[in-house]
Amino acid sequence: MKQRLILLLTIALMGTAQAVFAKTLEADVHGMTCAFCVDSLERKLSAMVSVSNVRISLKYKTVRLDTEGDSPSIEAIKQTILDAGFTPINVRELAGENSNK
Amino acid sequence: MKTVTSKALVIAVIANLSGIFMPAHSMGLRSLVALPVESGRAVVRLSYEHIENIDSNTLSTNIAYGLSAKQTFLVGLPYRLSPSGADQLGDFSALYRRTAWQQDRYNGTSRLGLLGGAIVPTQNDRDGAIQAGFVLTHVNNRHEFDVDALYQNGLGTRPDSGRYDLSWQYRLLPSIRPDWGIPPELNSVLELNARWNEASGTLRQATAGLQWVTRKWVLEAGIVRNLNATENWHYLLSTRFHL
Repeated sequence: MKQRLILLLTIALMGTAQAVFAKTLEADVHGMTCAFCVDSLERKLSAMVSVSNVRISLKYKTVRLDTEGDSPSIEAIKQTILDAGFTPINVRELAGENSNK
Repeated sequence: MKTVTSKALVIAVIANLSGIFMPAHSMGLRSLVALPVESGRAVVRLSYEHIENIDSNTLSTNIAYGLSAKQTFLVGLPYRLSPSGADQLGDFSALYRRTAWQQDRYNGTSRLGLLGGAIVPTQNDRDGAIQAGFVLTHVNNRHEFDVDALYQNGLGTRPDSGRYDLSWQYRLLPSIRPDWGIPPELNSVLELNARWNEASGTLRQATAGLQWVTRKWVLEAGIVRNLNATENWHYLLSTRFHL
């Protein structure tokens, strides 16, 4: 009984910790022009540590990253966008949400 | 008339077998553009061209390898499927492209790439060439314009040659992109092309086609009309994908 209680507490704590560390970051990216061209950007961003999901808006020229654990730094995200051949304009953290636009 | 026709056809065949290459990341059907290829990854383009009247069929393989965000290595090799016989394998084209200027904007991008490289003959009886040129790309909303020019300085007995392409692509679908996600796109393509050869003159062409563009691959088809005396037709079919 005691072991089961500890296990439940541990799971609850892990869930809480993940929720605390989970972040959503958004970057405005200029130069994204077509579906084929931005595939590489999505792949590079998805390969970053702690990034769990990448969404791209060709309409708004925006990239949104869902992260877990230690999020990559804003500088690292900018450099990844540059390495893919595009221009990062602004990278920001969305306040405590993993929302859909 | 027959002589003129034969001459123009010879130009077309020579053009196909002597280093006409369509780097894999171009967005025009026949133009070279300055859009980036991901560092350490490659894009492959397989293209098939049929020329009416002489019943020529050529398969070309092109690979664009991203050395960095601004540097790309492009190679191409055409192979004539028919008529079969000697000289079926075209010459190997190698080009280095460096993005010399880039201005990304909210609605698109403008980029200038400088090109330099060589044509390496695959047969002992042919000579090579060195080549240099530029490619300019301008994208704004649903429109993309590409201009490229390339000069090939023939070595040995190989005549000098050159080319230019003016390409306009227009995104037909979707007219308005969704808020999120990357849906497939359908583009129309119109081009003016010219292939010049010191020995045989200039061949001017008009190209029209369609492109189906997805995240992973591109499928494109087009027709080319020779604007010179021969006025024969070429038919193009090609695909591109990331490796």
